[in-house]
Amino acid sequence: MTSRMNIGRREFMTRMGLLGSMAISFPREALAELRQSNTNQPLPDWAEEPAWKTIAEVQETIFPAGEDIPGASDIGAAIYLHKAIENPNADGEDRDYIFRGIGWLDELAQQRYTKNYINLSEKQKEKIIAETVQTSAGRKWVSLLLTYLLEALLCEPVYGGNPNGIGWKWLEHQPGYPTPAADKTWDQLLQRRS
Amino acid sequence: MNKQYDVCIIGSGAGGGPVALTLARAGYSVLILEKGPWFTEKDFYKDELACCRRSVYTPKLSEEQHVIEDTDSDGNWIGQPTSDSGWDFWNGNLVGGSSNLMSGFFYRLKPEDFRLLSEFGPIKGANVVDWPISYEDLEPYYTLVETEVGVSGRFTDHPRAEARSSKDFPYPATAEHPVSEKFDRACQSMGLYSLPTPRAILSRPKGGRRSCEYSGYCGSYGCSSGAKGSSRAALLDQAVATGNCEIKPLSKVYKLTSDEKGKVVSADYYDASELKQSIHAKIFVVACQAIETSRLLLSSTGPKHPNGLANNSRQVGKNLLFSAGGAGSGDFDYSKMDSRESAAMKIRGPFVNRGLQDWYFIDDPALGGRVKGGTVDFLLRHPNAMSKAMNAKWDDNDDLVWGRALQKKLKAIFTENQTLRYEIFCDWLPTDDCFVSLDDAVNDKWGSPVAKVRIGYHQHDLKVAHYINEYAMKVLSKMGAENVRSSISGAPPANLVAGGCRFGNDPETSVLNADCRAHDVENLYVSDGSFMPTGGSVPYTWTIYANAFRVADRIKEALC
Repeated sequence: MTSRMNIGRREFMTRMGLLGSMAISFPREALAELRQSNTNQPLPDWAEEPAWKTIAEVQETIFPAGEDIPGASDIGAAIYLHKAIENPNADGEDRDYIFRGIGWLDELAQQRYTKNYINLSEKQKEKIIAETVQTSAGRKWVSLLLTYLLEALLCEPVYGGNPNGIGWKWLEHQPGYPTPAADKTWDQLLQRRS
Repeated sequence: MNKQYDVCIIGSGAGGGPVALTLARAGYSVLILEKGPWFTEKDFYKDELACCRRSVYTPKLSEEQHVIEDTDSDGNWIGQPTSDSGWDFWNGNLVGGSSNLMSGFFYRLKPEDFRLLSEFGPIKGANVVDWPISYEDLEPYYTLVETEVGVSGRFTDHPRAEARSSKDFPYPATAEHPVSEKFDRACQSMGLYSLPTPRAILSRPKGGRRSCEYSGYCGSYGCSSGAKGSSRAALLDQAVATGNCEIKPLSKVYKLTSDEKGKVVSADYYDASELKQSIHAKIFVVACQAIETSRLLLSSTGPKHPNGLANNSRQVGKNLLFSAGGAGSGDFDYSKMDSRESAAMKIRGPFVNRGLQDWYFIDDPALGGRVKGGTVDFLLRHPNAMSKAMNAKWDDNDDLVWGRALQKKLKAIFTENQTLRYEIFCDWLPTDDCFVSLDDAVNDKWGSPVAKVRIGYHQHDLKVAHYINEYAMKVLSKMGAENVRSSISGAPPANLVAGGCRFGNDPETSVLNADCRAHDVENLYVSDGSFMPTGGSVPYTWTIYANAFRVADRIKEALC
């Protein structure tokens, strides 16, 4: 196979993933290191807003952290979502639906536990989500949050999710190259359409 | 007065590029009007969001869309705008068109594909005809594409092999995945001819284009090395370098205006600032991809063309073709392999590059005698991670999966096996139920009626696809794949589209003559896949490239 290639064997092997990260199973150390660096990062102002605090809690419920599993905060789910839906090129309908859903969620949490979602225990939060997905509107809402969450898990880190490629490492996924620079993200390229 | 060009080409994809390069090299002034932006290698990254999840290379459906007509449960044709359904029929609006985003599986048609009616006889309900040209007419141009666009491969003689005027491909085959050897062994034991798939991907540098860098992300992605033989990288960059070819991106042509004699006098378009502009030229070439080409002609009424340009026989938009067939796949579990084999199977980068044409022609009483069959091409599952992950969101009961259950499912999907897929390409028989017209209710953002596409298919297509599928599944099983599954349907693949302006010798039953010039418009040519009266059983791009080079020669003669 290599006889037809103009590149050296080592470079070829590296490109094909035979050397380097591919052979290594998910390193817990990478997750621990990421968590350590995350605790040192100050939260942006928007993250302190009640709606965003609730979104972050929901994300953690639907994608919880484990000892060797990156959770929503590890993968930058809220940061990614904020960038994605506050982007002027984004689908405004998604943003509206997500924010409307927070109201429904708190309403349900109040009915069941006379508390807002954010003040519930982990078990109660899970029960509220489980009940939410029983309705078609609720299922659509959680599904939408999951869509953005899975994008955060596996996106190019330039978009704010998947810091240090933690999602790729966890799922042993080999990304492509080259990866986009900040001035070549989809929304930057989209400007070229007009 | 505005400059008059020798040739104005509308669309810059596989149909436009060969015409532009040929005529610019010959010293003619060429202008290309392209609706999309002009991206280059410096703009293409392996970014799934840009490539496949946001409308970067295709229009927003709220601004530009199609109306798709399909049957409801009572058999009535019902139109649905794609902005409602989300079923996107755009394939790439950018300089170079969708050839920027193709996988580049390059197969030639076979001589029999040019005479489907004579070879296999009529089929009730299908408008099967012979082509006005033969394989021998197109063969030199297939060969030309191999060198101009850059086709890599390894010729292997086999019973279905079409004649070649050159011994082998000008570029050696691209690097192959270890699963290809496994495939070869299975085929050998089954008495099948495992064929290396030619690819429009450079295995060696060519001019300013680098060879493939094997990132493993090819189809659906723009190529950052220039190895993929897009119309832009392979042809237009050279055409512009002659100094005779100009490209105007972000230029949406909405009408070709014709005069009292029926000749086209101008291409009218909206420029990047949404201002109306006109271009004058001696000859106009339309190459907007099949659906939009028919739409533009139907929209271009004139004194001699009250039903739309080149539509005096009411043939424009008729006999639209997709590609019939389907797809299947099977899994190879890493847990059942030793560490060496699993490491090999996990490799991402090199290509599978294998196809089967053992059933290109089928002679079996089960199908009523000798019929046209198709091609099966094998490839690894697409590497896009997000789309793979999205499948994990739902369980078999359509319930949402979240929390630990979702994480467990993701881990399994990503880490437990390799998936080998296949795609079946069969003729999409031309019928009266598959055509393009103008929608009378939905307009694009400029106020022009959008294309309405009726997507009926012929039952014969499914019969042939099911027949081939049985064998394709057996190949995967023979290889040791588990969970072998497949899907054959009449749903049209939006990226494999041709026809709508079929060429032929009779002006009453065709839009274009054998040179792909409109029968009733002396200075109008169509050089994309619209010309095809029948589609063959392979992806279209190589044939579109080859025919566009042929048409370019005819235009050159006309300009002399």
